[in-house]
Amino acid sequence: MGKFNWTKKDLLSIYDLSPEEISFILDTAKEFKKVSQRNVKKVPALRGKTVVNFFIEPSTRTRMSFELAEQRLSADIINISASSSSLKKGETLLDTIRNIEALQADLIVMRHSAAGAHAMLADKISCGILNAGDGAHSHPTQALLDMFTIREKKGSIKGLKVAIVGDILHSRVARSDAWGLLKLGAEVRLAGPSTLVPKEFEAMGVKVYHNLKEAIEGVDVVNLLRIQHERQQAGFFPSTGEYAKFFGLNKETEKYLKPDTLIMHPGPINRGIELDSALADGARSVILEQVTNGLAVRMAVLFLVAGCVKK
Amino acid sequence: MPAKKEVCNADGVRAAVQKVADGIISEFLDHSTRDFAIIGIHQQGVPLAKRLISIIKEKTGYSPELALLDISMYRDDIGVRQDLPQINETLIPFDMNDKAVILVDDVLSSGRTIRAALDALTDYGRPSLIRLAVLVNRGNHEFPIGADYTGIALEVPKERKVAVEFVESDGQDRVSTIDWKKQLSQGDK
Repeated sequence: MGKFNWTKKDLLSIYDLSPEEISFILDTAKEFKKVSQRNVKKVPALRGKTVVNFFIEPSTRTRMSFELAEQRLSADIINISASSSSLKKGETLLDTIRNIEALQADLIVMRHSAAGAHAMLADKISCGILNAGDGAHSHPTQALLDMFTIREKKGSIKGLKVAIVGDILHSRVARSDAWGLLKLGAEVRLAGPSTLVPKEFEAMGVKVYHNLKEAIEGVDVVNLLRIQHERQQAGFFPSTGEYAKFFGLNKETEKYLKPDTLIMHPGPINRGIELDSALADGARSVILEQVTNGLAVRMAVLFLVAGCVKK
Repeated sequence: MPAKKEVCNADGVRAAVQKVADGIISEFLDHSTRDFAIIGIHQQGVPLAKRLISIIKEKTGYSPELALLDISMYRDDIGVRQDLPQINETLIPFDMNDKAVILVDDVLSSGRTIRAALDALTDYGRPSLIRLAVLVNRGNHEFPIGADYTGIALEVPKERKVAVEFVESDGQDRVSTIDWKKQLSQGDK
């Protein structure tokens, strides 16, 4: 690892990070992954620090992963969900956050339905803010864990072909993955129905496909996104059955993959819709490793950001 | 005093490493069982640990196992210090339980690094014995921690820092003292 200094007190989006910063997080995460493999799965790095998990949108896996990461770093933790917060009583988001800050919290991990909510707060408070998802905008730790998994399996990201398939339009995972992978030099393909993957995405520097076979042929990684039933009700595609037929990865479409193509999914999976069970549980699937790596990556960003929060 | 002042050159460093190795040999290989490991603390403890192993092997035929330890996750000043933590690889390729281990670092100063290293080690297991070997013991200890094997003992005023350079990492063998303030204002290494 070369000499590098981390200088950010917040993790807001992948777009804000330089390729060097992304690589530095991934390098740091490598050592944190080992902590979870020891008998004593805990280090005192964040001892005496208070982390508030503020999830205004529901979340199970990201929240669990952050919480466990904080515990393994020995931080003190408070959890606030939308239903238990004073936002319900009409308090503004900024006031809620300032109240958390007044309790001398060091870091706030937040999920919010509004894109840009974290960036708006970050300048106004001295706590570090970590984005655990904001609307359809950004989900930086998911992108980091995806990149960590790809790098671990493939050695490097530069030059790889990665297809992201599904509801790109509404997906913060797709946007964050695409930005991160582009920064590290991958070729990114976005695929799905034209209603969910408009051609405008090509302005990012990716290729857009409306045909699954063309999109996944010869790729090193295919990342499938969950198809949400409410999108069908809103008329983005006719039926989940039809979506599965044209964009699902199954025995038929699997033929276009290479023997060593990684199959990824941020979860939760709709088995039989975007991904067949046999493939989700097959040898090329790294879906559960993504979960393991998510913990390591979150430990790394909590550690780095905490190191920059000055009191 | 100049901003940077040499304490010893390559010959001095070689003799100091030799002295540390001899100390280890006389405790471990002359009298007791030949089963101990050497743990280098990043950064500069690692090249020193490797040199000690090679000298011990050359002199006695026994090659102690090498482990690498990064103590960033165990520091007591996260969020306080200016330069931010950079984590290097921790690699402990043996069972720490009931093992005799020698921690190796370049300089013993406040003792805080060693305190962190002791915490880290005990999270990996329960060694039967832990010794500390340093190339330079500079005084100004802030913790009740002393070295078992010392290459060079110095009395250095608090405002000066001791810098150890090794060929492996810096291109030359040298020990010098540096004035913190002058170093900052002049941008000297």
